Amino acid sequence: MSEEILKALAQLFAIITKQGDGVTEKQRQYVINNFTQKLDKDSVNEYMAFYDERVGYGKEKKQRADGAVPTKLTSVKDSVKTLAICKKINETLTQPQKFYVLQELLELIYADKNYNEERKQIIYTVSQTFNVAEEDFQVLEKFVLSEDGLDLNAEQVLIISEENKFHENNKFVKLDEHCKGTYLFMRAPSVEVYLFRYFAEEECMLNGIKLEAGDTLLFSNGSTIKLKSGATFFYSDIVSHFLSAVQDVKLSFNAIGIEYRFFNDKIGLTDINVSEDAGKLIGIMGASGAGKTTLLNVLSGSEKPNKGSVCINGLNIYENKKGVEGLIGYIPQDDLLMEDLTVFENLYYSAKLCFGEASRKDIIEKVHKTLGDLGLAHIKDLKVGDVLNKSISGGQRKRLNIALELIREPAVLFVDEPTSGLSSRDSENVIDLLKELTYKGKLIFVVIHQPSSDIYKMFDKFILLDTGGYQIFYGNPIEAIAYFKQMARQADSQSGYCVACGNVNPEQLFDIIEEQVVNEFGEFTGKRKTNPTEWYQSFKEKFSFKPLVDLWNVHINVPRKTSRLNQFLVFVTRDVKSKLSNTQYVAINLLEAPLLAFLLAFIIRYNNTEANTAYVFRKNDNIPAFILMSIVVALFMGLSVSAEEIIKDKKILKREQFLNLSRMSYLYSKVLILFSLSALQTALFVVVGNSILEINGMFLPYWLMLFSVSCGANMIGLNASSTFNSAITVYILIPILLIPQMILSGAMFSFDKINDVVKNKANVPLLADVMISRWAYEGISVHQFAENKFNKRFFTLEQKEHIAQFNTVYGIPHLRSGLEQLGEKLVKNKIEKEDIGLYYRPAVLFVKDYAKLLKLPKHDYEKLDVIFTEINQNNIEKLQFYLAQLDEVLNILYNQTSIQKDKLITALDNKYGEGYTLKLKDEYYNENLAEYVRNVNNAQKADVYEGHLIPKTEYIYFAPIYSHGVLDYRTHFFSPVKVMFKHTLPTYWFNVMTIWFMVLIMFIMLYFDFYARIFDGFKKLKKIINS
Amino acid sequence: MKKIILCCIFCALLSSCGSDKEASNEELLLDMADSIAMPHKKIGDEVIGDLIKAIPSPLEISFLIKETNKHYDVSLLNEAANQSTYTSNFSKALNLGIYGTDLGYISLYNHTADAISYITALRDLSDQLGIGQFYNFEQIKRLALNANNIDSLLYLTTRNFEDINNYLYEKKRSEQSVLILTGGWLEALHLSCKIAGKTNNKALMDRIAEQKVTFEQIYLMLDNYNYDPKINALVDRLAPLKAVFEKVSITYEVKEQKVKEVDGVLTFESESESTVHYTEDDIYEITKNVENIRNSIIK
Repeated sequence: MSEEILKALAQLFAIITKQGDGVTEKQRQYVINNFTQKLDKDSVNEYMAFYDERVGYGKEKKQRADGAVPTKLTSVKDSVKTLAICKKINETLTQPQKFYVLQELLELIYADKNYNEERKQIIYTVSQTFNVAEEDFQVLEKFVLSEDGLDLNAEQVLIISEENKFHENNKFVKLDEHCKGTYLFMRAPSVEVYLFRYFAEEECMLNGIKLEAGDTLLFSNGSTIKLKSGATFFYSDIVSHFLSAVQDVKLSFNAIGIEYRFFNDKIGLTDINVSEDAGKLIGIMGASGAGKTTLLNVLSGSEKPNKGSVCINGLNIYENKKGVEGLIGYIPQDDLLMEDLTVFENLYYSAKLCFGEASRKDIIEKVHKTLGDLGLAHIKDLKVGDVLNKSISGGQRKRLNIALELIREPAVLFVDEPTSGLSSRDSENVIDLLKELTYKGKLIFVVIHQPSSDIYKMFDKFILLDTGGYQIFYGNPIEAIAYFKQMARQADSQSGYCVACGNVNPEQLFDIIEEQVVNEFGEFTGKRKTNPTEWYQSFKEKFSFKPLVDLWNVHINVPRKTSRLNQFLVFVTRDVKSKLSNTQYVAINLLEAPLLAFLLAFIIRYNNTEANTAYVFRKNDNIPAFILMSIVVALFMGLSVSAEEIIKDKKILKREQFLNLSRMSYLYSKVLILFSLSALQTALFVVVGNSILEINGMFLPYWLMLFSVSCGANMIGLNASSTFNSAITVYILIPILLIPQMILSGAMFSFDKINDVVKNKANVPLLADVMISRWAYEGISVHQFAENKFNKRFFTLEQKEHIAQFNTVYGIPHLRSGLEQLGEKLVKNKIEKEDIGLYYRPAVLFVKDYAKLLKLPKHDYEKLDVIFTEINQNNIEKLQFYLAQLDEVLNILYNQTSIQKDKLITALDNKYGEGYTLKLKDEYYNENLAEYVRNVNNAQKADVYEGHLIPKTEYIYFAPIYSHGVLDYRTHFFSPVKVMFKHTLPTYWFNVMTIWFMVLIMFIMLYFDFYARIFDGFKKLKKIINS
Repeated sequence: MKKIILCCIFCALLSSCGSDKEASNEELLLDMADSIAMPHKKIGDEVIGDLIKAIPSPLEISFLIKETNKHYDVSLLNEAANQSTYTSNFSKALNLGIYGTDLGYISLYNHTADAISYITALRDLSDQLGIGQFYNFEQIKRLALNANNIDSLLYLTTRNFEDINNYLYEKKRSEQSVLILTGGWLEALHLSCKIAGKTNNKALMDRIAEQKVTFEQIYLMLDNYNYDPKINALVDRLAPLKAVFEKVSITYEVKEQKVKEVDGVLTFESESESTVHYTEDDIYEITKNVENIRNSIIK
């Protein structure tokens, strides 16, 4: 306290004193005592001199001799003086401090028990100027001046006595039988201050300091009052009597016989029992590795114990998740703030998720109030920032973290090391905040490490854990110290306090618990004197555990759950806002695609004309490579943008899991944002890339396919992100996810020229079918080739032309030479089983397939099957005959289509001018791509697979050769159409849908956290194997 | 529930996009089969076949060219890059012939680099004409990588050329075969005329005038396909050349029979000697007309 304030106080004392019949020894003694508490001895004398001068101590006789001084006159003067002093005090002291001053003044009056009108007047003035709440003042006045408590009559008073002879408005608690006396407590709600007085002959100690009966004392946080006869009044117990909220909240929290084992079968927790009701602050302490956080996780329901149960109001929290929905809150040790959002936004969106159904105005009000309560109002518009780029302090971060949960007001709150990394002042602040919450009836469990004396005292109870998860103590903090001191046979084991200063030393606990055996040289042996099991046993012996009765059917109000749609909207806006406020993120994401497109397209814009004339799209050899690279870029962008998404939110999700938010809404929001980003990125890519390479009229098809690819990559990224717990792991994983996509895209390595194990002679290998890249590459290539403005007109004609040509040039000769070989073998009678599939069946099937072209009479056609069941010379000849005929027909067909195509070109040129088709071809048709999709450079032109003749060239023109059934989607690569459910679909659209089907599957896997479950399964399997 | 709806939507999408028509490669061809109708020709295919075989290879002229002129001039040829500008089967076939002769000319002078681009042009054109199977590109590429292989490369392509003619004839596309021949012959004549114009070589001029015989055969064959407007137009364009060749006359003088002993066997040998009658103006006319026709084809 500053000199000025002390002076002011001395003056006030003096004025009060003067209003009576002059200074009495009692009053003067009170003032001396009062100053002694605040000052050193020399200063006391100094201020006493000041006081004495003001009240005229020692001159009173002379004054008396002058005759009676009209007190009223001085009173007016003093009133003015009082006013001036109080105003000065107002500028410095906090409201509770001012309240103490008022209490001290009243006590001064109590000292001579003369409460006259003048004094009343002065006290009233002080109270008014100090802005002390009228109600509190009235109660205070009576409380301090009361002689026996019988005249007290207020809700804010608690009387503990042998029998209730007091006014019924007061709260009353019966004193233990063997104790005597009356103990008064009062609460001033406006300032949350508690005062204590007592009337008894018994000796009474407050925090180890002996008290005088009748004195009014401040009953501060964590204080304990001990009576000689043994009764103890704990601060929290007293406070709980006052707080109506605490009594309103009916809560029972019973955790009984908890045992928890880790995956590796290591014991996490052994036989933990906890039973609490509302409005308690419970600390969990223990050496590192003792299982504090594990216990917190088990109690909060995020880990299921192997044995035992945790029930809130009788509802098992593991089995009846719905019943305890919204009751539990969890504040993890780490930050769970959205770094790119402001303090206000962080809290606002969190609140929106809890009270989504409340009005915007209400929510904003609530947020402002919470920020104000936590002293964060002035920084509400600051960006939270990350650990390296701090804009708010560590304490503020912690408080904001707490605020996120606090605003929701869960009935049971779990806090993991809220003070780690904070200054002692911030730590105290934070615990104080939690303590205040308990007054509202919350039950709070806090894991705490090395609490300071003040913090330690604030807790109502402690759970001490020792290595191996043994519960070695559960009870009052001060008792804990006494118990362990006693167990260690230390001197002064009765008191947990330092008698002189009232401080406790929580570190003593662990010194005792972990005390080591010393060898004969005085060195620590590393062996503990008392091992955890022994501590656990002795705790079990000394303290019996009586669980509270489960409060069945008690309903605790929780805010109405936010609808899924609203959750989704909050998730989206929160994420978008957070992303947009990160300029680097926005800039890179928007520039990445056009930059890559420019780089790629610019470099591969190859002018392949002989005379170095203008660039011609038709001649650019790099178009197939461009398509592949576009897909790789889309995959890359999609993966990298999504890889971190869920990991980043993991901590936040852990907390929000207690809000029972819909995972679907969360995932939808992620998906919406990522897909939008993908749409934008791929659009930018295609715009730039296609215009540089002059890929005309293909924007939408390219974009849609690349967008789908990017979405697929997003889903892969999200799955990875949700499976692994660090972003680095996922980034390391990217090559593993991407390289197979390149290998099996069909662009780099022809599916005809790969390992036989993987290869399928007729179709795209199954392994490639799970690759997004393969569908995309095929889709774009086929579309670019068949649907470009030039080829579109000729594609059907060309299809006929090439099918006919293939069969006459390669197909039929292949079959006929096969039949010849078969004929020879037949003569030598050397036919083997596989020859049928190789030579005979393909020919039969071919004839059957094309039989309509032969225009056979109907009964002949129907009999084909019957005719060719047996292999004989006659049948072979017949087949040869049919094949020769087919050859002829197909040749005519070829000639016809060829002529038709020719005519069409002439017609087009005539209609649009000479050179029109050529120009169209230059602009829309790419020669190198045509070589790829037609597979012209394949040495092998025809093959036989499963009894069918398979073309190995002109892929783009052949529809699927044969099908195994309605679900057989498989075809050769670059097939122009796909067939499924007997429906024919253009390859492009089929492939787009396939990719989206994969996206859907991956979304479902993501929803059920498929991969994480698989990992868990592995761990369990390992455990089974180990045991 | 949601997922079921999603699945339903997906399936609905799937089925709505598709068409009920079964996609098979055979069906595709079937609608064409009915419309097959072959046009009427004056001369049967077999006769054409005989005619085609009777026409000498354009390469025969090339050898004479080399004898008379040591200087290799690539500007006389049709540029390989022009290949991609031919859109109709008609011009493709004609130019395929032209490139064939050009390749022969190049091979006389062993210009590997040029040869490769002409081989590529040949391959592309034949591919577009549905006779790509005669060009095994892998093989050509392998041969082309080494300049020493030029001989085998040329042998391969020349042989291919004959094979193509045969194949087209077999596959009832004799008009393409005729066009290829026409192109090849025309280019050979064009080269001869150009060089004759420079060198005034008598033997070469004789050969040019002698082409009257081949020209008449070709003219006859082309006229056979006059139902094709393009071929018909070509025949019309050939009319002035026909007029010039009519001025050229060839007389045959049959000499008396000689008896010769060949490997101990007596054989009769009847010798006939032909003489070509022409003026230098005729050659000039021929040169002019051939150039016109040829340029209209390669443009």
